[in-house]
Amino acid sequence: MVLFAAMPEISITFDRVGKRFGSRQVLANLSGAIEPGQVLVVVGPNGSGKSTLINIIAGLMRPSRGEVAYRDGEGTLPRARWFEYLGMAAPDMAVYEELSARENLRFFARVRGLHRSDAALDDLLETTGLPRRERDRPVATYSSGMKQRVKLAQAVLHAPAVLLLDEPSSNLDEAGHELVARIVQDFRPRAAVAVATNDPREMAWADARIELAG
Amino acid sequence: MLGKEVTAELRSRVALNAIGLFALTTLVAVAYQIGPYQIAEEDRPHLLAALLWIILFFAATSGLARVFVKEEDSHTAKTLRLAARPTAVFVGKYLFNLVLLLALYDVIVPLFCALMGYAVAGVPGLVMVMVGGAVALAATSTIVAAIISRASGSSTLFAIMSVPLVLPLLVFLIRGTRDAAGSGDLQPVLASLRAIVAYAGVTLITSVGLFRVVWND
Repeated sequence: MVLFAAMPEISITFDRVGKRFGSRQVLANLSGAIEPGQVLVVVGPNGSGKSTLINIIAGLMRPSRGEVAYRDGEGTLPRARWFEYLGMAAPDMAVYEELSARENLRFFARVRGLHRSDAALDDLLETTGLPRRERDRPVATYSSGMKQRVKLAQAVLHAPAVLLLDEPSSNLDEAGHELVARIVQDFRPRAAVAVATNDPREMAWADARIELAG
Repeated sequence: MLGKEVTAELRSRVALNAIGLFALTTLVAVAYQIGPYQIAEEDRPHLLAALLWIILFFAATSGLARVFVKEEDSHTAKTLRLAARPTAVFVGKYLFNLVLLLALYDVIVPLFCALMGYAVAGVPGLVMVMVGGAVALAATSTIVAAIISRASGSSTLFAIMSVPLVLPLLVFLIRGTRDAAGSGDLQPVLASLRAIVAYAGVTLITSVGLFRVVWND
C-alpha cells in the first residue's frame, strides 16, 4: 500500500521513563525499545498511561524522569529531527474539519516538503476505503469512522520510519480494522511500530509487549 | 500554510465575523455618540487618531488569537506540530493575521473617516503608518496567541498579555496617524514611522526565535 521513500531505519529506546501529573504518578521506571521491523504493543486499562507513553515516545510530551532516544545508522538523532521520521494517529489528533480529505493530505504533504500528486493522494485515500464521492467534501461532514480513515492516511502519508498508533481502530468498522491490520503489516518489514490498544486482535500483532497496570 | 489558513477561514468565517462585527459595532457606536461635530476643532487630531486605533486594536484582539486557539480546540495542533517546521507555522499564522488586519483596515479606516468627518491631508503617510501598524500588531498578536493557546480562558489572557506589550506601539501609531492627518508632508510622520518599524522588526525577530520553544514545549 505504501511506497517507502529513502528513510533511514530508526530504532527507539526509552530508559527508566516516568511521568507525573501533579501528585499523580502515571508512568514509573519504564524501559524498552522498538527496533525497525518490530511491533511494540502497549496494553493496559483506561488511565494506565498508554497514550502518555506513546506521546513521550513521539517527543510530544517530556517525561518527568528518564530518557527517550532515536537512533539511525549513524548515531543518536537530535530531538528536533524526530518528527521528520514519525507518523502518528491518536484520538486527540485531528485533521482540519474545514478542508476535504484530499485538501488535508495535500496540506500535510506540502508542509512536510513532499511532492505528492493528486493521483498519489487519491491512491492513498482509495486504500483507506474512503468513498470517492466524499473526498472533496469538508471533513466536518464525515462520520467518525471516515475521519479516522483520514487520520490514518495522514499518519502514513510520508512513509514514516516510525509509526505510532494510539487506539487505531477506534470508531472503525470491521473493514476499518482490516485496514489498520494492513497498514501495520505493510510497515512491519522496516519501520519501528508501536500500537497502544486494548483490542485482542491488535494485541496479536506484538513482537514485544508492555503491559501497564491501572 | 497561509493558503490553508485562508481557505479554512473563508469556509468558517469565525475570525472574520468576530473582528468585522466588533469593529463595525464599535465604529457605529462611536459615530452615533460623538459624530463628526461633537469634538472641539483643536482636539480633533489627537482624539480621532486615538479613537481610530482603539477601534482597530480591540477589534484585532477579538479575532487574532484564534490562529492558535482553534488549533488546540480542534485537536489539530498536535498533528500540525508533527508535520510542519515551527518557523513555517509561525510565518503562515503571522501572514494570515497580517492579511486579516490589512483587510480590516481597508474597510474600517475609510468608514471611520467618512462617519467621523476625519480629513486626512497626508494619505501616503497614513497608509505607511497603517501598514507598519499591521506588521507590528500581527507579530505581537501571533506570538501572544501561541503562548496563551494552551491555557484555559485564553481570550481573556490574550487581552491581558497584549495590552502592555502593544501600548508603546499604540502611542506611536496614534502620533503617526495624527501627524499624517494633519499634514501632506511626510516629514512629521517619519519619527513615529521609525519607531513603528523598529518595534515591528524587534517583535518579529524575537517572535520567530521564541516560537520554536513555545510551540514545541
